[in-house]
Amino acid sequence: MNVQTPIRLTAAEESLAAQLESVGAGDAAVRFREAGLPTRRVEAYHYTDLKVLLSEVPPLAEAVAGTGAPVFDIPGAYRIVVANGVMQNAGTAPAGVITGKVGGSTLTMRDDTVVRLNSALVKEAVNIELAGSVDPVIHIDRRTDGDAAHVATGSKITVAPGARATVIETVATSDAGHMGNLGTYVALGEGAEVTHIVVDLSATQATQFSTLEYRIDANAKLMSIVIQAGANLARAQIFANFVGEGAHGDFFGLNLIDTDQHRDITLDVTHGVPNTTSTELFKQIGRGHGKGVFQGKITVAKDAQKTDAKMMSQGLMLSEGAEILTKPELVIFADDVVCGHGATCGDLDETWMFYLMSRGIPKAEAETILIRAFLEEIVDAVEDEALGEALSGIVDGWLAQGA
Amino acid sequence: MSDFDIPTLKENIDRETVESVLALDVDKYKYGFETIIESDKAPKGLSEDTIRFISAKKNEPEWMLEWRLEAFRRWQTMEEPTWARVSYPEIPYQDTYYYAAPKGATGPKSLDEVDPELLKTYEKLGIPLSEQKILAGVVEDGEGAEQLASPYSGNVAVDAVFDSVSVVTTFREELAKHGIIFCSISEAIREHPELIKKYLGSVVPVSDNFFATLNSAVFTDGSFVYIPKGVRCPMELSTYFRINEKNTGQFERTLIIAEEGSYVSYLEGCTAPMRDEHQLHAAVVELVALDEAEIKYSTVQNWYPGDKNGKGGVYNFVTKRGDCRGKNSKISWTQVETGSAITWKYPSCILKGDGSRGEFYSIAISNGHQQIDSGTKMLHLGKNTSSRIISKGIAAGFSDNTYRGRVFAHPKATNARNFTQCDSLLIGDTCGAHTVPYIESRNATAVFEHEATTSKISDDQMFYCLQRGLSEEEAVALIVNGFVRDVLQHLPMEFMVETQKLIGISLEGSVG
Repeated sequence: MNVQTPIRLTAAEESLAAQLESVGAGDAAVRFREAGLPTRRVEAYHYTDLKVLLSEVPPLAEAVAGTGAPVFDIPGAYRIVVANGVMQNAGTAPAGVITGKVGGSTLTMRDDTVVRLNSALVKEAVNIELAGSVDPVIHIDRRTDGDAAHVATGSKITVAPGARATVIETVATSDAGHMGNLGTYVALGEGAEVTHIVVDLSATQATQFSTLEYRIDANAKLMSIVIQAGANLARAQIFANFVGEGAHGDFFGLNLIDTDQHRDITLDVTHGVPNTTSTELFKQIGRGHGKGVFQGKITVAKDAQKTDAKMMSQGLMLSEGAEILTKPELVIFADDVVCGHGATCGDLDETWMFYLMSRGIPKAEAETILIRAFLEEIVDAVEDEALGEALSGIVDGWLAQGA
Repeated sequence: MSDFDIPTLKENIDRETVESVLALDVDKYKYGFETIIESDKAPKGLSEDTIRFISAKKNEPEWMLEWRLEAFRRWQTMEEPTWARVSYPEIPYQDTYYYAAPKGATGPKSLDEVDPELLKTYEKLGIPLSEQKILAGVVEDGEGAEQLASPYSGNVAVDAVFDSVSVVTTFREELAKHGIIFCSISEAIREHPELIKKYLGSVVPVSDNFFATLNSAVFTDGSFVYIPKGVRCPMELSTYFRINEKNTGQFERTLIIAEEGSYVSYLEGCTAPMRDEHQLHAAVVELVALDEAEIKYSTVQNWYPGDKNGKGGVYNFVTKRGDCRGKNSKISWTQVETGSAITWKYPSCILKGDGSRGEFYSIAISNGHQQIDSGTKMLHLGKNTSSRIISKGIAAGFSDNTYRGRVFAHPKATNARNFTQCDSLLIGDTCGAHTVPYIESRNATAVFEHEATTSKISDDQMFYCLQRGLSEEEAVALIVNGFVRDVLQHLPMEFMVETQKLIGISLEGSVG
């Protein structure tokens, strides 16, 4: 009963193991062959059973020159293009910004298959150091071109004490079954203020994994926004760690789900020191037979007294086949804290619809008004006007697709 | 209360709350006596022979033995679950007795036949059996009923289970007049095989989970209730479970069937002696509510929690599930969990019938080194089904208190509704309180709401109360505990005092 028998690997798992071996990550390959991809029995992947969902893994990407217009254009932004995982020459960096490359993955090793794959497969990552008040939005424009490819990439963003900056990372691909594995590490120095946005705009055949890791030092202020509007199978996992007192984090997320897409946002916030605060607001909207997953865990360590954390997750289902799966979680070891979570899911409120329609607004338009109001709460959080408008464009695009 | 070390408190926590919780300190376990009674035991360990022994002891028909053996074979292929937030050393399944019966207790028909030592035990427990003379009178001639008029819900019929065997069931004749069957499950297997065959394992299948399967193989007794069509059970039905023997597990099995339009309220209470070693309790409770039927199931769980260093105590690994099979049926679970070293328990409702309703009200208090991982599952399968979950966890000492719940809407569960609220309170910084809800909606018309803060009761309700002059705190207490209190008032006198202590606990200072 307790003898461990070797597991049967799926075709996708075989491909991944072979890829690990091909880059010389023998130990990782052995370990991967033992455990395989996570199934629903792994709590963090309860709703995203990768063994079942990931049926194919494309070959590792080959370098191509990334040129052409950005898929996602932010007027006035300083753009760094990463094509098939390789950083291209960027223009002159604005004041307070140093860009370069750093070897290997930037993520902290943890017991997570996606992170382990990223650690073994990333050859080089974008390195950005920020100091002072950085004016233009920094846009890391990641693209995967050509035939279906598996691209493992990363970024390391180090924000000096007291610095202010906005960084957005977008992922876009050509129309093919690409697979992306992005790992970003953001360290906020004391008193730094950072807005960090990750947007997935991959092709609908693609698979995208994004892991974001935040280290938030004393009195720093982070705003993190994740928008998933691309890949057929997407999972964004966010690990945030408060390491200095007086720090604050606002975490926002938006899952725009359509047809048979499966989109997962998994958040893991740890309040490790006293007097830190956070808010979390995650919204999911489902159409067709789409499946939206939100898992949000807030951990308050024993010493983290006076923590204040409030998490809200809302799901809106617009069609019969849509599914919204939510798991907000609190793990609390300190007694003088204010922590809470709320979760709702349902369809458009009949009374609101009645209100609008009774004022002569046609049904379709009333629906759009309510849906837009639901979604824009996330986008409205962005201060930079041009960036906010660009993000609104994603919401508009999604609405237009369903019209 | 002076002998308690009261930890430093944050300002808005009521001192009385803290004292009430500390008063439940593990060292003060008042049911920790042991009764020296001769008993019949099966050979130690678990094998097909043990199961044959149990089955033979109970004079069971062949089909029942086969059922058990099949369960045992399944169990051997299963692995113990590890997903709950509890930790314990490996359970020596082969070093446990699976059957222990007070000698001569193979089925007494009245209190007179019961070993006086046993009755003394119940007297100490303070259960209604202490009114044995009156009770016995009623059983015999039916005259004493009026004397029993109490300010509560009237009479209480009791099935008492000592170690593994039902020792006495009271009020049977009175109940029989209404066509109600209330007896031990062993008796039901012999006398009502058609009902057992139809319903046993129909809510919790034999292979449901590791502990339920173990129970299916070795269950020794428990209660059986059958309420016929249209009958409103005239009294509370109640079972008291007591583990007495050393190194024994208690594996009781309860089955309640409420036919169309019937109603029953059932209460269970549990205690065990103080022992250094752990005792295993793996029960299965199945409820079936047919069209328009209602079952209220209340538990006051007070198994021995172990001493203050975490030594000893009962492992309470229980599978409880109700099946709202008929339209507009209703199942309501109320639990007050104060005992056990480890509690692993998720009383659930399968809302199959259109318009059916499930409710779960829970107060879970952990202290010392207790670990609680408890909650509920509301599975919305039928149309217009609704459910409500109110859970309050209070952790003190070095304990861990987890709420784990699942709310699910099937694609066909049109207009399903759920409201969930779970609050936790930590007293001291050496304990943990955790909330793990799973909210899964596969139907767009389903509306689920989940709240885990005291300040987030629906604004409408608050507004209603506030504009009628209640303070915010009063309003919160009223809304959150209103229905719980209502249900708890149906508990017999003996548990009211203890339960009220828990109810009196302030809502202030809660965390999610």
